[in-house]
Amino acid sequence: MNFLYFDPGLGAMIVQAVVAAAAGVLLFSKGVMYKIKGFLGILKEDDDTYDSIDIDEKEDKDETK
Amino acid sequence: MKQNNTRPHQASFRDPSGYMFYDGDVLRRAINPIYFKQYNALKDSGFIKTLIKNKLLIPHTQTTVSDKQIVITPEPIAFITNPYEWSFEQYKHAALHTLKVHKYALSKGFILKDASAYNVTFHKGSPVFIDTLSFDFYEKDTPWRAYKQFITHFFGPLVLASYHGTEIFKMLQTHIDGIPVKLIASLLPGKSKLSSTIYTNIHLLAKMERTHSEDYKAETKIAKLSLKAQNNIIDNLFDFIKKLSIKEETEWGNYYDKTNYNDAAFQGKKTLIEDWVTALNPQRLIDIGGNDGTFARTVVTKVPHVIVTDIDSNAVGYNYKQIQQNKETNMLAFVCDVLQPAPGIGLNNLERNSLTERLQIYSPDVTMALALIHHITLSGNVPFDRSAQFFAAFSKHLILEFPTREDSWVSSLLVRKREFMNHFDFYNQEAFETGYKQYFDIQKKETVTGTKRVLYLLKNKV
Repeated sequence: MNFLYFDPGLGAMIVQAVVAAAAGVLLFSKGVMYKIKGFLGILKEDDDTYDSIDIDEKEDKDETK
Repeated sequence: MKQNNTRPHQASFRDPSGYMFYDGDVLRRAINPIYFKQYNALKDSGFIKTLIKNKLLIPHTQTTVSDKQIVITPEPIAFITNPYEWSFEQYKHAALHTLKVHKYALSKGFILKDASAYNVTFHKGSPVFIDTLSFDFYEKDTPWRAYKQFITHFFGPLVLASYHGTEIFKMLQTHIDGIPVKLIASLLPGKSKLSSTIYTNIHLLAKMERTHSEDYKAETKIAKLSLKAQNNIIDNLFDFIKKLSIKEETEWGNYYDKTNYNDAAFQGKKTLIEDWVTALNPQRLIDIGGNDGTFARTVVTKVPHVIVTDIDSNAVGYNYKQIQQNKETNMLAFVCDVLQPAPGIGLNNLERNSLTERLQIYSPDVTMALALIHHITLSGNVPFDRSAQFFAAFSKHLILEFPTREDSWVSSLLVRKREFMNHFDFYNQEAFETGYKQYFDIQKKETVTGTKRVLYLLKNKV
């Protein structure tokens, strides 16, 4: 069992189901748009210095070999 | 581990998992038995190692292990900046960093159990997560319990700043646990409800919090949330935050385009600074009012650690982008108003210490204040001996550029005083020297070629 040392907010716990549903719709439509744009060849590359959300774990695997 | 000569860190008392303490001058982290299971799982699964390798988490070494306590020693951080001292870009990057850490944790069966903005700071040019004990096991189908904290610490302030400017971040000084959801919602314009991301994450959240605020007996059942759904929330917040921007025009945005230097004068000033700084061979240097770091960059390869602060959030943001692009690991940028430096906040006013205190601990060998004194003196009405007192509180050597009355910028500031212009007759080199001599010895003094500005090298009398 996790121990709680601060109140996560009941409303905040409940609302996440709705937030997730809305996010799901948005992400899905973005994915569709991405595919369409990719098909039409009009995809723009991001030029910011922020990384992607995913961690590249390849390095780790190479080292363990 | 010897427990004498140790004192607790003033900001580390909320989480029962452990606490930070000073062992002499070294900052260490003690882990309590209640967190041993988590810590060992995090360590043994290689989770911590991957985070450190990807520069997401501050590296640490395990110092001692006993049944009662595990002690780890994190890599020292030269200077801690707080959320209310970040530019928009930095704030954004810290938020994305937090989401990234949580997403990775979820993929390995863990969660980020709290999402406080104070768990991130800037180190070696990038955001880094500094609370090693912020992880816990993921329990199937449970919502993210740090979600609200993420909204009040990160998402809310960022969305507000995108509408109202970065002054919003200063609200974190009076709200140490983030801006209340209700307040965020009330400060947002009605049109923000048209965004499904802002609507659900802020307006609807505020509504739900209000609806359930009277559940004193904790009777309401908490809804389930699948892992996929939780990942959707995080991915969507990440995408949304990544695209957030501010439209803020400031006086300093294109400072060096508008400035009254010509190329030769600019070079002359650069050369003087380079020579003086090199001769002092400093380990730590701070440039106060350093704009986008242009002058600090002339010495960045010679000084192991350089801080650049400016009152203008845009300039700091621009500097931060350069730090990222140039991969300058020894430069730190943050927002600071000399006339109103960040106070000590939180419990006993000690949880997050004041800027002055942090500067004293940092103890720069060289402080630079280039073309800043006329703003402090004329715009801030600060007498010379008082600004000297401010610099003397933490500086060993001070390189200060004094624009004389003939300088175009000074004339403009004086003209703007209109009928009170004569009240500023004291703004001259003689009065400046008298004021600063109370705290400093004048070691060097040179006019910057082709300008009406004088560069001083001052040494603290203490």
